[in-house]
Amino acid sequence: MKKFLLSAKTQGYIIPNISVVLIALLTKYSGWQDSGALVFSEFVILPILMGIFSAWFWRKEPYSSKQSMGRTCILSVIAIALSYLFLGEGSICLVIVSPLLFVFIAVGVSTGRGMFSYNNDTFNVSIVSLLLLVFFADTRAHHHYENMVADKMVINAPVSKIWPYVVAYKRIEAPDKYWLFKIGMPSPVQSTATGNYVGAGRKCIFSNGYVFDEKIVEYNVNNKLTFAITNQPRDPEIMGHIDILKGQFILQDNGDGTTTLTGNSWYALHVFPVWYYDLWAQSVTRNVHLRVMDHIKELSEAK
Amino acid sequence: MFGFTIKYFGFLKFVPGAAHFFDTWLKLYTFATKPILLDWMDSIRADVLRWDGIKITSHKYGGMQFNYSKKEIGHIHGNGLLDMLLNRKIKEQLLQDGRIQDHHSFKNTGWISFWIRTEDDKDYAVELLRLGYQLVLSKSST
Repeated sequence: MKKFLLSAKTQGYIIPNISVVLIALLTKYSGWQDSGALVFSEFVILPILMGIFSAWFWRKEPYSSKQSMGRTCILSVIAIALSYLFLGEGSICLVIVSPLLFVFIAVGVSTGRGMFSYNNDTFNVSIVSLLLLVFFADTRAHHHYENMVADKMVINAPVSKIWPYVVAYKRIEAPDKYWLFKIGMPSPVQSTATGNYVGAGRKCIFSNGYVFDEKIVEYNVNNKLTFAITNQPRDPEIMGHIDILKGQFILQDNGDGTTTLTGNSWYALHVFPVWYYDLWAQSVTRNVHLRVMDHIKELSEAK
Repeated sequence: MFGFTIKYFGFLKFVPGAAHFFDTWLKLYTFATKPILLDWMDSIRADVLRWDGIKITSHKYGGMQFNYSKKEIGHIHGNGLLDMLLNRKIKEQLLQDGRIQDHHSFKNTGWISFWIRTEDDKDYAVELLRLGYQLVLSKSST
């Protein structure tokens, strides 16, 4: 057992992973990141550094490209498990983050494998220093990103029939279609309102019982409903990752007995890089919209 | 997917590390779908490195590029696609054998593409690279 733990191969799995978790914890609790965001460097630079660090432990024994990829997978699984245990990340978040981890740890391992085969210390130190510099610069930089997602749907009903369901709707019984909802991500199931006026409270209830508290800020009957999110659940899947800012439904009479329903949502993203995470945020928001809008369509078109 | 990425995201080759990222992604995909292909690519690399004057660098779109005297002989992407420059005459002859294809991007040139899918293909890839090596050698000596 002692021999196993002290082997370079095992150390190459354990020590880089522990180091990265410690750096991630330090970044999280030190206040280095003023906006509290999980920055690009934590998902790109740290995994690359981890891969290089692991390759340094493995530098004295030859290993094939297949073994390199296999070791990448083991490193990534350990990193995901440690993120779950020590960084308090939710399981769906880890599903979302795992492709980034797998690829950038693999980039690090293959880079390190190449670096240490040439054994040019100056070059190696330069690469690692450059990556560390990017990491600290990115961690200290201010990060802010907001976006809006809009979806449209034509409903075969007049605006007056649709409007009540836009404000509040009974429980959605239809099975989830979106794959993330199917594997456990909470989906919207019901909306309630305390009144039909500006300032009234509204609740959006999710399948796991979590509730988004909302306040109606714009109430134009048969035309537009806008609500601000006043409190969102402290779920590890969303806490510190995304803030839903406001939502909106717009009804447009098409003049032929049908109505175009538009659903808009505004959110602030606290995980970077946005070129990756915003794809997920848009996809999730779009599927939340569609689940609610499909339900509104079904209720409105019922005889 | 490979062709789509090269066609529409090829401009990202100018971003440092993007090609390496792309090829690593291909290798991870290969590891998940056909891991033995990675062993065959290692074997090709070892065979070709035995030839005089061969150096390996990263290809601009990612992958392992074989060079002789700073001239490219060919490159293999992480998904087992060998691309190399021969000449039109040799290419026509090889096309008749039906194993190689027109290059996935550069049509009507001396470039060819060859997918390594079996152990026989691995040996054939080495033969093709040997052919390219001899062409570069003959050009270098004239």
